[in-house]
Amino acid sequence: MDRQEIETLIGRVAMNDRAAFSALYDATSAKLFGVCLRVLHNRSAAEDAMQDSFVKVWKHASRYQSNGLSPMTWLITIARNTSIDRLRATRKGHMDIDTPGLELAASTAGPEQLAVAAGEARRLTGCLDELAEDRGAAVRGAYLDGHSYADLAERFSVPLNTMRTWLRRGLISLRECMSRE
Amino acid sequence: MLDESMPQGDDLLAAELVLGLLREEEQREALARSATDPAFAALVAGWQERFVPMTDAIAPVNPRRRAKKRLLKRLFDTGPVPLSQRLWVWKGLSFAALAAAAYLGVQQLAVDPPSGADAIYATQLSGTETPLQVLAVLDLAKGDIALNRVAGTEAEGRSFELWAIVPEAAPVSLGVLTAQSTMRVSLPQSLRDRAGELTLAISDEPAGGSPTGAPTGSVLAAAPLTEL
Repeated sequence: MDRQEIETLIGRVAMNDRAAFSALYDATSAKLFGVCLRVLHNRSAAEDAMQDSFVKVWKHASRYQSNGLSPMTWLITIARNTSIDRLRATRKGHMDIDTPGLELAASTAGPEQLAVAAGEARRLTGCLDELAEDRGAAVRGAYLDGHSYADLAERFSVPLNTMRTWLRRGLISLRECMSRE
Repeated sequence: MLDESMPQGDDLLAAELVLGLLREEEQREALARSATDPAFAALVAGWQERFVPMTDAIAPVNPRRRAKKRLLKRLFDTGPVPLSQRLWVWKGLSFAALAAAAYLGVQQLAVDPPSGADAIYATQLSGTETPLQVLAVLDLAKGDIALNRVAGTEAEGRSFELWAIVPEAAPVSLGVLTAQSTMRVSLPQSLRDRAGELTLAISDEPAGGSPTGAPTGSVLAAAPLTEL
């Protein structure tokens, strides 16, 4: 199913169209379940997270059109964040990360601007590999394993502020690398 | 304590928000900002697009069949009997709204009372994000829908557009709401037979209505019609 078809389905889901919701589930649940499994490493927890994700999709589909994201980015971001919330719920001092994008203001980013971001995105893997090895690992650890700065600082045995400086520099290099022609 | 060598800037804050790295208070502030500040929201959206390819290498895995069943049950289990669905809808209506709907129905339909064969359907459209409230009563004898806007104003240069939706079909525009608080719109013949499965929705559109014939803006309110 291509981007346009998924976008149309989300638009119909926003209007409470249950048949469209069912079709959207059929088209995207395997990918979202894969993402939930990757984060949670547990089939039943991942299934719950996927289910919670689709409940959010049903309830918040009307917010999708204004945020400018590509439809799969929106869906995967919801699944990833829902999974990481679930993962963190088992940890001390837990706080939901929520999903920016469910509440995202109508963005000033035009479709072109986000298309550029999406085009850059294809370069992500190469750029992550180009980062100093541990910075790339830190970004991946945060995104896919829900590591906080405190977790990362412990893992790399550096003070928290150093970790943050480090990762922020990594993000700048990443942004530069991805925007390179 | 601020580390002077630490790079600063909204774009980095947006990236940290997307990664979920912020501390509780910072995160709450950043989230609130992303909901109200379009420029910041654009930065957040940009990072969401940039990071999502980390999931490209993750292979799709089919969930068990019953996962879908459970999901649909959780969302839509109002029972197979239409009556329970109607009751459920009415439970959601406040007493005042119900009285208003009944009043509207009587006010506007009493002149030409519907014959026993023609059911009357009604619903209340309430904005989830905006204070929009529209009562709608469908009179099948006339084939039109009486609308009463109780609350809600369009943004400058925008219109509220009303849509009729039946399952497995594209939304059909019923026109934009006029400045008057009450109005009537005609329901296309093809939809009159399907009143029982009709959902009404209101979307935010450019002035005068969607240029494409399909909704282009946010859906502000949607609700199924229910038999009175």
